[in-house]
Amino acid sequence: MKRWLWPYFSAPLVTLLLTASLLPSAALAQNKTTLEVDAALDLPVVAPLLAAFEQAHPEIEVSFQDRSTLEVDERARTASPAPDVIISSAMPWQMARVNDGLAQSLDSSAAREWPSWAKWRNEVFGFTFEPIVTVYRLDLARHMLPPQTHADLHTILNTHKDMLRGRVTTYSPSGSGIGYTLFQQDARYSPRFWDLVAALGAADVRLENSTQKMLEGLTDGRYWVGYNLLGSYAIQWARSHPELIVQIPQDYSLVMMRMAFIHRDAPNLEAARTFMNFLLSADGQQILAGETPLFSVLPDVVGPYTSQRLRDQVGERLYPIPIDASLLAFVDPMRRDVFMNRWRREIQILNP
Amino acid sequence: MIVVKGTLKQRLGAWLLAAFSVLGTFLLIEAYTSAERAADRAYDSLLQAASLTIGEAVQWQGGQPVVEIPAAAFQMLATEQQERVFYTVVNSDGQSVTGNLDTAVLETLHHRASRQSEPVWSSLQYAGAPIRVYGRQLKSAGWESVEPLQIWVGHTLSGRESLTHDLFTKALIRFVVMVMLTGLLMLVAIRTALGPVRRLRQLIRQRKADDVTPLNAEVPAELYDMAETLNALFERQREGRNALLRFSADASHQLKTPLAGLQSTSELALQSNQPEDWRQALQTVHDSSARTSRLAGQLLSLSRLRHAEAGSKTQIDLSDLLRKTITEWADRDIAKHHDLGMAALPDAPIYIQGEPWSLHELIGNLIDNALRYTPAGSEITLGLPRQKDTVELRIQDNGPGVNPELLDRLHQPFERGGRQDTEGSGLGLAIVNSIAQRHQATFEIHSEPGHGLCVCIIFPILAEEA
Repeated sequence: MKRWLWPYFSAPLVTLLLTASLLPSAALAQNKTTLEVDAALDLPVVAPLLAAFEQAHPEIEVSFQDRSTLEVDERARTASPAPDVIISSAMPWQMARVNDGLAQSLDSSAAREWPSWAKWRNEVFGFTFEPIVTVYRLDLARHMLPPQTHADLHTILNTHKDMLRGRVTTYSPSGSGIGYTLFQQDARYSPRFWDLVAALGAADVRLENSTQKMLEGLTDGRYWVGYNLLGSYAIQWARSHPELIVQIPQDYSLVMMRMAFIHRDAPNLEAARTFMNFLLSADGQQILAGETPLFSVLPDVVGPYTSQRLRDQVGERLYPIPIDASLLAFVDPMRRDVFMNRWRREIQILNP
Repeated sequence: MIVVKGTLKQRLGAWLLAAFSVLGTFLLIEAYTSAERAADRAYDSLLQAASLTIGEAVQWQGGQPVVEIPAAAFQMLATEQQERVFYTVVNSDGQSVTGNLDTAVLETLHHRASRQSEPVWSSLQYAGAPIRVYGRQLKSAGWESVEPLQIWVGHTLSGRESLTHDLFTKALIRFVVMVMLTGLLMLVAIRTALGPVRRLRQLIRQRKADDVTPLNAEVPAELYDMAETLNALFERQREGRNALLRFSADASHQLKTPLAGLQSTSELALQSNQPEDWRQALQTVHDSSARTSRLAGQLLSLSRLRHAEAGSKTQIDLSDLLRKTITEWADRDIAKHHDLGMAALPDAPIYIQGEPWSLHELIGNLIDNALRYTPAGSEITLGLPRQKDTVELRIQDNGPGVNPELLDRLHQPFERGGRQDTEGSGLGLAIVNSIAQRHQATFEIHSEPGHGLCVCIIFPILAEEA
């Protein structure tokens, strides 16, 4: 297999050890297993989950390494000793690692009962349910009808080209694995996606590498509208930033799932299984639904952030990016080249 | 003694089990391999479909192949079983254009696919798992001439294994059901097949104790022999019973005659006043009762010989016994008028296995018989000529002999060889014959009228270890 460079993973490396504050006693600490979790997932977002886990399993100490998707992928392939659990939002890359045989299957009741559309080979599990959203400032609503669908966005880009020039932001497909995946999926669903790309190009779209950057730009007022943001972060951000409106597209809304697997060479196998089972258990999902904006996958979990509640609000227009072998197409180097060539062509096609 | 040893059901069951074990092994091996083939066919066609789909996506731009791998191809490769999937597109130099399958493992396969234009199938070990790969050469027409490409696709085998397992399990279940049905049928078949035997048993059980008529039954061919044997047994029983009846009738008759004589003699004497007549009558009564007593004694020994269990046999020197018996007889009154002699006996003792008392009886009867049926002055010679492993006890006289037609009947009771002029009871040779049978000896009679009678008893000799 060819190796290639991903220049587009750029989340800051945050390494935090959850330690003394959560330990019940010093005596226990000596017998503790340290579970190495490499994750592309903001620690503050996921902290309630980890705290609950350590409370339920005081014998395990979680060493949670918040890294970029690139680093997570790199470490999954090459680190020695291997990390125990790999969590990443770069779905195609996670799938590719599982396909390479780097994962091991999890045989537990939680794993067996996990919805089949959110797992593959009982090795990798999608454990969050994060809608992809459009975010706009209230300023925009004062001048035009806010976009509720992809077509609406295309329309306002054409009709208010001058007003929006330089005020539109989205993921950089070359700088972000998530962005690249989302655009690939968009292109699969509608051929008119490329019209949107052309319109974005005409509006002099600003490409960012993370949702965080886009949200900051929107709050600053640099951007009026952001396309394809991670709903989980955006919804939480919008709570403290009332000038922003989070819109789940009404024609179709992609849903991204963070995927987790136990590494084939996990040194702390038992602890890794315990952690995964907790992640997939009703208890773990309850915390996802209640205390994090990551949304629970399980349909019978109750809380503000559940896939069920999202479905009730948005209806049947949620399209989770399927966790199956088709994801592998997105990491095919030639397909990526073809996609990027087309992107570069379409983005400037309307420029004079 | 009847010993119950197993049942027919067990025997048939064991044979059936053996047949099924051998046959079943072959059948199940065959079932497994054909299940594997079926699973391979099913999944190979998915590999072909995926390969076709990728082939359709190949385009050429400026002489370079551009493949926008369709996601559907991966779905086909992964199948419902979520296999790990492997693929690569290889140019004519053997360089991978795109894909996740290391071209190094295809080294030889690559050459094979390019030499022969046939697609190549192969099973190999890759990335820690056995996989099956399918590769074919793609030659596309176009405005510019282009180098051929090879498309290789492959996946892991869990789907094939589980399909094989499913198919095999079904075959196994069918086989087990078949075995069980056959076992059931076998039980029914045994029941049905044993029906005639049961009917035959019923028939025999219902017979009266003295019923010796032949069986009258419908039997299958296999049981014909047994029914025939039974009939033969009944026939022998009938003959035996008839012989017994005849013997009793004859015996009664033989006893009745002297008793009637006694009665008439004593009646005549009672009517007479002459002491002379009384004395003569008493003499007659004495002689007649002596004969009758002898007759009764012979009857007793004959029936004893016929029905008594064979007693314990010992090793006997036949020549010694013969010598003693002849000496004993030579002193008796009855032998006074005959020339009782002995041929030269062998020097060495001749040992046979036998009962001393019955052999003594045998020789005595032979001598007695010869004395009674030959006129006074006849020569009677006993001999003991020896063959290799038999010895012949031979008694030869020079009396009138016997009509050859009667020879075969001489050993039957009350057969006197057509002679009414003797005091013999007609039981002598019958007794001799019975004793000979008890000793596994052969009884032979030769006679030419006018040249006397020769009776031979041929005994097997005991091996001379003594």
